[in-house]
Amino acid sequence: MKTGKKYFKSPYIKGNENYLHNEFSEKLPLDSFIDEQKTNDNNTSRRDFLKFLGFSTAAAVLSSCEAPVRKSIPYLNKPEEIIPGVANYYASTYFQENVFANILVKTREGRPISVSTNKEFEKNINCVGGLNSRGYASVLSLYDSNRLKFPLKNNKEISWSNLDNEIITSLNQLLKTNKKITFLTSTIISPTFQEIISKFSEKYKNFEVVYFDPISKSGILEANKECFGEAFIPTYRFDKAKVIVSFEADFLGNWLDSSHGKQYAKGRNPGKNMSKHYQFESLLSLTGSNADKRVPLNPDQQFNYMLYIFGKLQASKNLIQISNQNHKLILDQICQELVENKGASLIVSGSSDVKNQLVVNAINYLLDNYSTTIDYNRKSNLYSSINSDFENFIEDVTNNKVGAIIINDLNIVYNYPSFKDQLKNIDLKISFSESLDETASLMDFVCAKSHYLESWGDANPYTGVYTLQQPTINPIFNTRESETNLLRWMNISQGFFNYLKSSFSKQALDKSWNKTLHDGYCFQNFEEKDYIFSSSVAKEIINNYSSELKSSIEDTFLILYSKTSMGEGKQSNNPWLQELPDPISKVTWDNYLTISPFYAKKLGLKNWHVANGGLNGDIVNLTNGNKVLQVPIYIQPGQHDNTFGLAFGYGKEKGGKVANGVGVNAFEFFKDLQFVQKNGFSIEKIKGIEHEFACTQNSHTMMGRSIVKETTLKEYLKNPKSGNKDFKLESYKGKVSPNELSLYEEHEPAVHFWNMSIDLNKCNGCGACVIACHAENNVPVVGKEEVRKNRDMHWLRIDRYYSSDMNKDLANEQGIGAIEMYKLMEEPSSSENLEVVFQPVMCQHCNNAPCENVCPVAATTHSKEGLNQMTYNRCIGTRYCLNNCPYKVRRFNWFNYKDNDNFDYNMNDDLGKMVLNPDVTVRARGVMEKCSMCIQNIQKTKLDAKKEGRKVRDGEVNCACETACDTGAIVFGDALDTNSRISKEKKHPRTYALLEELNTQPSVFYKTKVRNKQKIS
Amino acid sequence: MFKKTTLHLFFIFWVFVPSFFYGQIEYLKGQNIKNGEELFKANCTSCHLLGDEKKARLIGPGLNVEIFEEYTEEWLISWVKNSSAVIESGDEQAIAIFEEYNQSVMTAFPTFSDDDVRDILAYIETPPIEEVQEVVVSSDSESESNTLSSQTLVYIIVALLVVLMFTGFLKNSLKRASNIDETFLEGLKKWIVSNVAIIVIVIIFGVLSFLVWGWQELSKIGIRQNYKPKQPIEFSHKIHAGEQGIDCNYCHSSARKSKHAGIPSANVCMNCHANIIEGTHTGTKEIAKIYEAVGYDVDTRTYKQDYEEKPIQWVRVHDLPDLSYFNHSQHVVAGKIECQECHGPVEEMDVVYQQEKLTMGWCINCHRDTKIDLNNPYYHDYNDWVEKHKKADLTVENIGGLECGKCHY
Repeated sequence: MKTGKKYFKSPYIKGNENYLHNEFSEKLPLDSFIDEQKTNDNNTSRRDFLKFLGFSTAAAVLSSCEAPVRKSIPYLNKPEEIIPGVANYYASTYFQENVFANILVKTREGRPISVSTNKEFEKNINCVGGLNSRGYASVLSLYDSNRLKFPLKNNKEISWSNLDNEIITSLNQLLKTNKKITFLTSTIISPTFQEIISKFSEKYKNFEVVYFDPISKSGILEANKECFGEAFIPTYRFDKAKVIVSFEADFLGNWLDSSHGKQYAKGRNPGKNMSKHYQFESLLSLTGSNADKRVPLNPDQQFNYMLYIFGKLQASKNLIQISNQNHKLILDQICQELVENKGASLIVSGSSDVKNQLVVNAINYLLDNYSTTIDYNRKSNLYSSINSDFENFIEDVTNNKVGAIIINDLNIVYNYPSFKDQLKNIDLKISFSESLDETASLMDFVCAKSHYLESWGDANPYTGVYTLQQPTINPIFNTRESETNLLRWMNISQGFFNYLKSSFSKQALDKSWNKTLHDGYCFQNFEEKDYIFSSSVAKEIINNYSSELKSSIEDTFLILYSKTSMGEGKQSNNPWLQELPDPISKVTWDNYLTISPFYAKKLGLKNWHVANGGLNGDIVNLTNGNKVLQVPIYIQPGQHDNTFGLAFGYGKEKGGKVANGVGVNAFEFFKDLQFVQKNGFSIEKIKGIEHEFACTQNSHTMMGRSIVKETTLKEYLKNPKSGNKDFKLESYKGKVSPNELSLYEEHEPAVHFWNMSIDLNKCNGCGACVIACHAENNVPVVGKEEVRKNRDMHWLRIDRYYSSDMNKDLANEQGIGAIEMYKLMEEPSSSENLEVVFQPVMCQHCNNAPCENVCPVAATTHSKEGLNQMTYNRCIGTRYCLNNCPYKVRRFNWFNYKDNDNFDYNMNDDLGKMVLNPDVTVRARGVMEKCSMCIQNIQKTKLDAKKEGRKVRDGEVNCACETACDTGAIVFGDALDTNSRISKEKKHPRTYALLEELNTQPSVFYKTKVRNKQKIS
Repeated sequence: MFKKTTLHLFFIFWVFVPSFFYGQIEYLKGQNIKNGEELFKANCTSCHLLGDEKKARLIGPGLNVEIFEEYTEEWLISWVKNSSAVIESGDEQAIAIFEEYNQSVMTAFPTFSDDDVRDILAYIETPPIEEVQEVVVSSDSESESNTLSSQTLVYIIVALLVVLMFTGFLKNSLKRASNIDETFLEGLKKWIVSNVAIIVIVIIFGVLSFLVWGWQELSKIGIRQNYKPKQPIEFSHKIHAGEQGIDCNYCHSSARKSKHAGIPSANVCMNCHANIIEGTHTGTKEIAKIYEAVGYDVDTRTYKQDYEEKPIQWVRVHDLPDLSYFNHSQHVVAGKIECQECHGPVEEMDVVYQQEKLTMGWCINCHRDTKIDLNNPYYHDYNDWVEKHKKADLTVENIGGLECGKCHY
């Protein structure tokens, strides 16, 4: 069909027919991105470029078809105890930020991948508790790339031998002067360490030890010294108390001891012996949220109320006036109940003020609580710092009396910021530190400290209890234990391990070294004696404190508190903890000034939601003297009107890449080491800027639905099914339960049927389970920006709901329209009436699962054992399942979190990757994930049983959350095993399924919350 | 089906026939020969063969009934448990044998009870006689040819169609042969117009067979059947597992305990090769590579001090993708499956290769067919469920062996 006709695009081309044959003649604009010299002798045409592009693409495709050669490199000399693929467990000790726990460390191929509470130890002794969320997260801190890798001199690397020599020379020179060598340390519970310190003080005569805990319990120690003549902290027994009255003591959170949550839960079984818990507090704490009756009260009033109780118990005529009649009734009732339960009650105060603690002691003494609910023979050694000692030390420094300071395991410049200016008064500054933090970076010598999972050690946390700490991995970096440093500087060549072993043999213990090392603990006998309550103190209280503290309505209180996730901030560079939502506010990656709705209104401060659902807030200038901090505000329902709260642990400058720049440092306001700062500070709104919060829960209330079912003890005793009415649907057959109207065939479980029960009476919302789940299931950290977009990856979340004063009946009564009613329903109750409930929600493993039906590729399927399974490599990421899930527990991988520099957390870090559990897939971008009920553990336990030729024992299969739950709220097991705990729970009248009207038939069920309350007023 | 075939092909039946010595040695009466066999295979085969003392000499002497004539019960038991202690005690027999075998020390087995040793002796006394080495020829070859024929069928059809097309074309061109005016192209055009149906069918078949071929080729990606890489050391399973009869578990000891079968660490090799310095096929060349790795001086028979060890980098043959969880101990202990079922006749391989496809379909097929071991007390509490499913038919599928979550989590 050759016609010979030619068409031209433009008249200029006519006559220049070469154009047609050289279509891509112009050179590529390479100059712009390749340097000039190279391009000069480069004749690459566009066609060549495309050829290369095409070739390389094809080559890449073809080469990917060929599987790569993979090497398998076995040990040359395999350690006997290591079998590749099988986990080893070692018992050890955790002690950080004054929290003690005996732990089991799970190691795989020689690296620790998770820690959990040693349940055997817990069984043997009542006064100890398990790990909290910070404890569970501590394994990640081992693999923190921010850790010091070698010892430093003036921030430059130095060898250990040179460091030792130089320090010994300097210390010896100091001996000649009159100046002190001060060992500033957080509490030490290791008897061997203490022995080494006392030996050290023999060698260096001018040596003194100063204990300083950033968040100390000095008030209790000093009060006990006045009352009993000895500064000690007793152990408390919340499980034995029928009536618990707490003034600001957040004992379920961070008050004294991790055991209190477990003990408290023991007394919370609904029944005749259920304990009754009153909480008087200014902020809304975790403990207050769980109380039967919570009264918001400022710290001054709290003291007055304590005095009222004290006076009333003594039948004193000179009673303090309580102006609030409601409160007076509550107090009278408390007094009556306390008298009725003499010896089985407990009054605690969280105040750092000695006089509050004295009154509390006096009340407890009047009620015969010592030796029943308070054990002063088995003392707790977890806190030993007394504020006055520290203040004396500061004075010494100011007066140039301190020649050398050795700081052990403390970030003093962060915890006590004014100390920074005083460092120049000290000639020799040495620090034992795990990272180059605010303090270490100002030191002459920094002795890189090993992580506790790399160290030997022992502990004497309570009288009569001895535990051992053993390393579960060789030190990753060139670090050593604090103890070794002191031994070297005394020229003791014996290694710390041998020293520890010989020190062990000197103690009267009930087990051998090997047995103790294996079990992790042993016990000692101790003498019991009766302490006499000093009568002069009692008199003093009566005489001096009979008049109330005058407080006016204008008084404001700044209350410094610590979050369960962050504590005093030692692990602030731990991304798991940063992303753990605060149990109450549900805010991650932040601290903020909590403010009451009343005061927010007064100052015109607001929180509001923006279009993408994120929470924003105003920012204020918090001023105290010459200290000014820019803090965002968070309006906290339930908080006392005139109080403000600010959490410790944030605002680091040298905390590491995760911690730096998150929040503000509350220690700046920690004047006189008192948690309560009365007046003297001002709050001023900064106009024009706003703060973006990353909040995991944006709704406040249940909007009138019965998501958490609740009842009172009185009702429950009458009818165990109270508050848990079976749901009925209207149908042509009349009222029927939803499962009678199912469209689907029922799944029939084979051999096992894995179910989980969550007791809402025992769950206090602490969040340890969330972290344990992270560690077990390789859950990625997504960072603040993503959390704000509701893209957090927690497989398990804890929902927090506030009560609301509005309900449908009330709206009908008052003629309020539907829209207005729902608007009011989302408003939390007033501070006085506010109640809080917590509900852990993970995948409910529905047996009529809405997600399974909508998956176009069958990536989520139902197993014969009742599990809803998620197959990552099958998932194509349509997210239909997420949309169809009524519980909103599915999580989507928006990014390749393990391999994306924008998410610079542990998974993007060669060191941080060591914490990953090799039995669980690390998910890629574009797939859905969710709770698997720790299927890897289920499979492992089943296999163990099959190999050993036995049935699976009840309680043998554990989910990470269940193991982490110290209160025993979570029970997991096989519902086909008729003797198992779970099959009993399943039949319990309190048991209900979440959103049962949907007939999803979950394998997870909840138990109604029962509050022990009677009508007051 | 393929799986079954290999199972039958390479499964070797050992038949135990009581020897005529049975009952002659008093103290070995009533011993558990089966236990003895297991212990012998797991612990002894690496150094001892069964048979004549001199002929079957390996590292240690060959073992047969003659040992009972030469040594007493007490002597044998104490020798097995700790031979060096016997030598040190100055026992003449012990010293004699120690000298005879180049002063190589026999591994001590302090964990054995006296009864365990007697079990082993009983097994030595009545060794299995390899009576029949039965090789079952595949009865499923028919089905294999079936799969082949379905493929050839496609080719035959395509060939037939080509022939048909060609004859049709021939016929038409002959018909119009008289018409000289017509050019070849015009003729072809006319033929095409008049034979549209045939053209369409040919195209459809062409496309379909291309797709089938493409699908088959694409699904081979990632499957490394018959993958036979060169290993850093020319280790022969044929010599060790086949000729010497060393039990698989001796070297791959974690197969019974862990998800990994485990490549033996060099110290396991050295258990024997501390003394065997020369192989039958490759001489000292390959064995020297182990010494190079661990730093062993052959002349002095000692390990070098401060030697920088060089790990042996084996090439992985059977490589499942990371997304699938496979547990060896599950299959070996709970499932009681022989290694050869998945790995082929390793004891006949000089160089190990991947015999099976190791695809998901291959796994699933086995799970469909394999019956679960209801004698395991694990299932005893679930009798109702077992009854309901007609005991005999319960396969791994019935306990969820086909579910995604069993292998992918």
